[in-house]
Amino acid sequence: MKGRIKAHPILEFKREKRVKFYFEDREIEAYEGETVAAALHAAGIRVLRYTSHRNRPAGLFCAIGKCSSCLMKINGVPNVRSCMTKVSDGMKVRRQKEKGDVL
Amino acid sequence: MKFYETIVIGSGPAGMVGATILGQHGVKTLLLDENDFIGGQLVKQTHKFFGDHAHYASLRGFEIAQKLQDGISSNSNVEVENAATVMGIYPNNTVTYIQNGKKCKAYGKKLLITTGAMEKQLPFVNSDLPGVYGAGAIQTLMNEYGIMPGSRFMIIGSGNIGLILAYQLIQAGAKVRAIVEALGKIGGYAVHANKIKRLGVPILLNHTIVKAIGDKSVSGAVIAEIDDKFKPITGTERELVVDTIAISVGLTPLTELSEQAGCKVEFIPELGGYVPIRNERMKTTNPDVFIAGDLASIEEATTAMIEGKIASLEMVQELTGKDLEKEIENEITILALFRSGPKSVKIRSGLEKMGIKNLAISKPRINEPKEDIVGKLRAVLECDEEIPCNSCEVSCPFGAIYIGENLNSTPVLDPDKCTGCGTCVNACPGLAIFMLKEDVENRMALVGIPYELLPLPVKGQKMWAMNKNGDYVCDVTVERVVKYPNKTHLVYAKIPIEFSQSVRHFSFIKKESPIICRCEEVTLDEIENTIDSGITDFEELKRLTRVTMGPCGGKNCKLVVLGILSRKTGVSISNLSQGTSRPPVKPVEFSAFLKCGDDK
Repeated sequence: MKGRIKAHPILEFKREKRVKFYFEDREIEAYEGETVAAALHAAGIRVLRYTSHRNRPAGLFCAIGKCSSCLMKINGVPNVRSCMTKVSDGMKVRRQKEKGDVL
Repeated sequence: MKFYETIVIGSGPAGMVGATILGQHGVKTLLLDENDFIGGQLVKQTHKFFGDHAHYASLRGFEIAQKLQDGISSNSNVEVENAATVMGIYPNNTVTYIQNGKKCKAYGKKLLITTGAMEKQLPFVNSDLPGVYGAGAIQTLMNEYGIMPGSRFMIIGSGNIGLILAYQLIQAGAKVRAIVEALGKIGGYAVHANKIKRLGVPILLNHTIVKAIGDKSVSGAVIAEIDDKFKPITGTERELVVDTIAISVGLTPLTELSEQAGCKVEFIPELGGYVPIRNERMKTTNPDVFIAGDLASIEEATTAMIEGKIASLEMVQELTGKDLEKEIENEITILALFRSGPKSVKIRSGLEKMGIKNLAISKPRINEPKEDIVGKLRAVLECDEEIPCNSCEVSCPFGAIYIGENLNSTPVLDPDKCTGCGTCVNACPGLAIFMLKEDVENRMALVGIPYELLPLPVKGQKMWAMNKNGDYVCDVTVERVVKYPNKTHLVYAKIPIEFSQSVRHFSFIKKESPIICRCEEVTLDEIENTIDSGITDFEELKRLTRVTMGPCGGKNCKLVVLGILSRKTGVSISNLSQGTSRPPVKPVEFSAFLKCGDDK
């Protein structure tokens, strides 16, 4: 049952334009309008980063940009909220392992 | 810097209604929201809302969002900035926000802050593990993006959000293993709880989660009963095989921006935690700053909309000098009526701490039922709690349902006036109305049930009739399916008359389950159900189901059972204990042991 919902009794999901992005160098297909976190969940990926002190896996928690649990390195920029960032073609997404440096 | 008369921060129900009214009165308004759409959390709500028709009762959350969005887009005085993340509020009502990677500043003579709330944390061992989500996050993934984050869910907390989430998960095709609730009673509305009970979801009262299990991501949960001091009782721990855990133990207001705007906040747990102090008209301790919605007190969409109205009307009055006293007082009366029921006790006491009294013009009551007419096709109302909703009364074209002045009162049916049209069944947000017609002579009853699941049964479909707890009652054949545009359909089938008050759901017939253990005749279903009940150890599984314990000693089924256990738990067979083999390995006569042969 994991992944994209095919049929729903109430909702219809508009999935139009496909985009491709890279997660840890692996190509992932998604739909325009999806957030990075959502698209990774559709691909079965729930570990979005490793914490900087204890190296524990961390993932999505609130999905509305409040909790900062889903911070990832996106196009080289650390600490980006993957739940609020939409996927785009060619985007490079990595699990964050450190706190991130000032660029 | 841009200058506005008002800036509204957050576009949930409170912010949308507020901005609309400000704009309608000619007040130049900037509406800021972090998302690339307006609507807040309403857009991911698929259930019909309670309330009255003035506040869109019976419409689904995303439909209400659409209505409110239309009010804003047709309003030339409201400028909307999406994807605008407010960073902070500085002196003189200066709001800074980031948009397209750039810092922007805006000034408003008055501010309406409607930043809403977020889920409360519940710390337990491994609660930081991927696969543990706030309930709202699952709604976002599932209902906004159509993405299901897991297969088997456990929900912590039986408030309305937890109950609604369970129902929405089942609608989207997931399995909900259990809802655990620390208190001795269900937190949310009974009608929401009944919707999932009849689908077979257990609600475990006086239970808590002890820890989440998993290496990189959740693969199970340990739950336990708790004592009257909320401490887990040793020996009651058991494991649930789930891959996703939802936390819904309440929301807490997001007060940061209001604090920066100079509003005094106080800790009032009845209202959700720290909340800005404000008066009856939603004005905070900073006379330029107003609040509404979940930021003011954790409630629901209707009260958020009314608060947004009150706040914005008062802002218009102060900015323009228009006399809106009558309108404001009217909204305050409507709000007091909404909050006059037993489900709003906490809110009322929290508001009283702030010096705001509830002056409802009438009290809710349990209306006396009218005499039933057995044998007539009519509605059966199973809505016995005083909750703020009158959609059935308003929906009935024949005036057959009465609630009265206070919409928290319980509905009663006048069977004389009821024509059996089913309109109220379709309108009821709680799915708490059914159709019934007894055929006393033939000892049968026709029962009609609201149906919002896939697939929709068809006429002639053989199904199982289930009772209010989700248990099998009898086999049925569907007689009629009435489809409605709002997707709450109505399915009719005949049942023996004795079950007319118990059958409340039709389930598709579960496939026949193959026998796995030939010797002890244990089916796949039985094994899976035992594992689902928390038995993940092979030895325990053997003792409870007797698999592999028959004459063959497990030669036939051991590997199959281990395979099932591995599939359900995610642990590979090589890492599972395969149990102990004991003599005799073949069936032998007991007498053989008494007769000694040659010992070598």
